[in-house]
Amino acid sequence: MRCPIETRENAEMLLAYCSRKLDAESTAILEDHIRICPACREFAGGQQAVWRALDAWEAIPVSADFDRRLYGRIEKEVSWWDLLMRPFRPLLFRQGLPIAAAVALVIGAGVLLQRPGAVSPASTPVSAQVDVVAPDQAEHALQEMEMMREFNRLVHPDTADPKM
Amino acid sequence: MPERVRTDVGGAAAALDYDAELMLRVKEGDGASFGVLLDKHRSSVVHFLYRMVQNHPVAEELAQEVFLRVYRSRSTYEPTAKFTTWLFRIATHLALNALRDGKNERLQEHLDDDSSDMPVRQISDSRPSVEQFMVYQARLDEVRRAVATLPEKQRAAVLMHKYEEMEYSQIAKVLNCSESAVKSLLFRAYETLRARLAHMA
Repeated sequence: MRCPIETRENAEMLLAYCSRKLDAESTAILEDHIRICPACREFAGGQQAVWRALDAWEAIPVSADFDRRLYGRIEKEVSWWDLLMRPFRPLLFRQGLPIAAAVALVIGAGVLLQRPGAVSPASTPVSAQVDVVAPDQAEHALQEMEMMREFNRLVHPDTADPKM
Repeated sequence: MPERVRTDVGGAAAALDYDAELMLRVKEGDGASFGVLLDKHRSSVVHFLYRMVQNHPVAEELAQEVFLRVYRSRSTYEPTAKFTTWLFRIATHLALNALRDGKNERLQEHLDDDSSDMPVRQISDSRPSVEQFMVYQARLDEVRRAVATLPEKQRAAVLMHKYEEMEYSQIAKVLNCSESAVKSLLFRAYETLRARLAHMA
């Protein structure tokens, strides 16, 4: 084989060998070469020493309250939305109700539009937009609240009733 | 758990890694899947950041920010790359910013001090003598100093290659450079480390 130390591309093979990522066949070929090549032997010896030295650097265990702190921060971020939706919560808990209300509004708007002169053309897009957005917001709020309930269950497994 | 699953995203079948599948569930409002992702990657993210900034409280703070950003991005998440690539891209970005902002100004004095957050070496057969412990600490300190002196990108590349066992292609995506640039970074980094640490053989 061509000496891997001679080109940077091939030196990658030596790095892979030292990091134990080289396949068996290439390892055998390279080891044959290393036996007769002092430069590669020196490179591999030095690299293996680096590898062992880095192995000695153990990481510190993660703090026990890492998750609690993270979920606390997430909860804070979500809570503004919860606060905003609080007045509508009794309605939101009944999932069908906001959708039914939105449908009724859309039908109502449609009926009004059928009556000539009842609604000015300029006001039509505004009312239609409000009707379409309302169920999305409700659904988003419900998703947020559901996630919060799950986070609460993860963070406070003993608490039967989530603090929402 | 399967590492790779086939799923249907937006009508098109796409092979995703299991983490991406979990993240898509988070996107759909499944908070428990976020917990699974956190469990799976918490340690590797904290350890990577710790080795990058060499300060345990700063590393944990940055790791919190990483997972917070993952959570915040859930609604816009698209599995265009491996989940861990995305995760480590956020972590690397935050670590590099922290290093540049001098968030870990204490790093140097921390290295000069007897570090309080150094891991306690577990030796299974017997307790190490004071002398063994001191030798271990001195060697560890030397390793940490050697890694700390590497340029930031080289340091990130070495840590991902050595400790996270990432492929060149994945490191390239994290660092937003070509694969050959990663190989070059690693080669230079290991050369520097060899010069500094080879005597520890």
